[in-house]
Amino acid sequence: MRSLVFGASAGLGRALARAFAARGHALVLLARDERDLEAEAKHLRTVHGTQVEWHAVDATDPAKVVQVLASLAREPPVSNLVFPLGMAFAGDDGALPLAATVALVNANLISVMATVGVFLPAMLAGNLGNVVGIGSVAALRGRSNNVAYAAAKRGLESYFESLRHRTAATGVRVQFYRLGYLDTQLTFGKRLPFPLASPQPVAERVARGLGRDLGCVTTPAYWRAVGVAVRCLPWPIFRRLKF
Amino acid sequence: MDGSFTADAALQRPDRYAFLSAATERRPAIARGAGFSFAAASFGAGAVTVDFTAFDRILAFDAASGIVEMEAGARLGALFCFLTARGFYLPVQPGHFSITVGGAIAADVHGKNPAREGTFLAQVRSLRLFHPAHGMVEASTTQNGDLFRATCGGYGLTGVIVSARLEAQPIPGDTLTLAIHPVATAREGAERLREWSTTHDLVYAWHDFARPGVEFGRGAAIVAKFSGKRGVRTEAALRPSRFSPERRARLPLSLITPWTVRCINRVYSMKLRRSEGPTTLAAALYPTASSEPYLALFGRSGFHETQAIIPDARYGEYVDELRALVQRSGVTIALGVAKPFAGASDHLRFTGDGISLALHVARDARASAFLAELDRLVIAAGARPNIIKDSRLPRAIVETAYPDYQQFRAALRRWDPERLFRSELSARLGL
Repeated sequence: MRSLVFGASAGLGRALARAFAARGHALVLLARDERDLEAEAKHLRTVHGTQVEWHAVDATDPAKVVQVLASLAREPPVSNLVFPLGMAFAGDDGALPLAATVALVNANLISVMATVGVFLPAMLAGNLGNVVGIGSVAALRGRSNNVAYAAAKRGLESYFESLRHRTAATGVRVQFYRLGYLDTQLTFGKRLPFPLASPQPVAERVARGLGRDLGCVTTPAYWRAVGVAVRCLPWPIFRRLKF
Repeated sequence: MDGSFTADAALQRPDRYAFLSAATERRPAIARGAGFSFAAASFGAGAVTVDFTAFDRILAFDAASGIVEMEAGARLGALFCFLTARGFYLPVQPGHFSITVGGAIAADVHGKNPAREGTFLAQVRSLRLFHPAHGMVEASTTQNGDLFRATCGGYGLTGVIVSARLEAQPIPGDTLTLAIHPVATAREGAERLREWSTTHDLVYAWHDFARPGVEFGRGAAIVAKFSGKRGVRTEAALRPSRFSPERRARLPLSLITPWTVRCINRVYSMKLRRSEGPTTLAAALYPTASSEPYLALFGRSGFHETQAIIPDARYGEYVDELRALVQRSGVTIALGVAKPFAGASDHLRFTGDGISLALHVARDARASAFLAELDRLVIAAGARPNIIKDSRLPRAIVETAYPDYQQFRAALRRWDPERLFRSELSARLGL
């Protein structure tokens, strides 16, 4: 079993790589900085004795990502794709410059689609594998605080919905996790209205979910209630909220 | 951790190497591991605290040499599980497994037989240090030796310890047997410690100093020895701990009174007697992890720990003076622990020849007067106080007790003329 983790150097990505390594998966790690990748790869090899290959890629450049993936060793085939990557900017209030908007949509959406595009044909041919998307509760209802980010994550949800439909009759399984606030670099030090969840239990849950047709799962569970509330708030109230 | 000092400081928690350089970019900073040191070594007003616990990776292990390389935010407990599963362990470890490797190096902590095993430094083969003005620097006894010397036991003041190579030892035996020898006085305890420090793997003594009138110093020498097959994999079972300075200080009021201390001591000595026989390596190495509830009894107002290495020849006299002082001042000593030490003093590292005696008292008005008096006894006895444990230790006492004080201060300035890395500890001690 070989699993590719895109965004493997921090937060949830690290926890996922460790959860997979503990289950004996060989790994392909992708992230931006080779210093982080090298350290993480050494850890996984030393502690879990697993086979690890890593590539430094910039998720804001999908063409480069595809190029790097084409150079990947063909054997053993990659059977799981996991995308714990996210990119957000402060000041994402609808007035981001073009370059920032493109970078943000590329990292959160296009690079994921491009990566799936590289591996899906072989996975369908082998009738085996998992594609795991990581979304955000920010996509539940658009807000002024993260305009482009929420749009990209909403796009990602739609993409995984289609992917699930595409693979429905095959052995390939698609899981999509819509996550609440995690205790990672993205949230550190921010004043947030809801508690932070630790990445480790989320990673364990994702690892357990492999092979299952779960559709879209919101986790931690209390976010389901928050999600319903946020979506049901009547517009005259919602428009006054600042969050 | 002891509840003595709070400061408002900016906190960064980098989890990528790119953020590490950004966090310390030309402004006062100090690294933080578990945050378990009693003195305020990992924060201070005006310095950015860099929480390094996300850098927790075990990078390499060589079973032939026992050398293990890890990032400095790795916790001793994680390393313990990794090493014991391979038949290895680190002989010198502080009392709690949540402590990080970086913290253990920066405070040059000691273990359960410092007379034979030395301090944490004895296990450090090399380290990598980050300083914004110098970048990443490798240091060992042979490469950048001065920097290595100033960093091991340098309280984080030379920069951020990023990673280290430690030499682990094969576990000397598959059975660890604990023996308890009651002692009537601290003096007798010290004699036993000296005697057994050469023959046993773990040696320390617990003393009941609660009542200066009766049985002052009654207690037990606690020794443990490995036997059986060497280098055998052992079951690594560590109870997870969520202990933190905040959790320790949850009780709004201190429950430490002369009466409760007597009860605690009675219960503890009964527990000690029952603990004789085979024990686990984890229980023997990490006693503080099982005394979390005891530390919590001190409540929000906290406690003082004070520890000093007293030359063997002066030890008995020191304990007699301590008894007179306790009687005079009316404080209640909640805990007394003695350990045998040996080693040459260097910079501000806590080592030397003698018996170390650690004491706990509740933090109140009487305690500060008592500790100031005790400082005078320490200086008079030619003893050396422990900087990382005593959060109120005044600069004058450190300057007198550590002959290398000026030398260490100068070494810090040579390496970093701007003195970017600072904490409450460094400010108090004039470093």
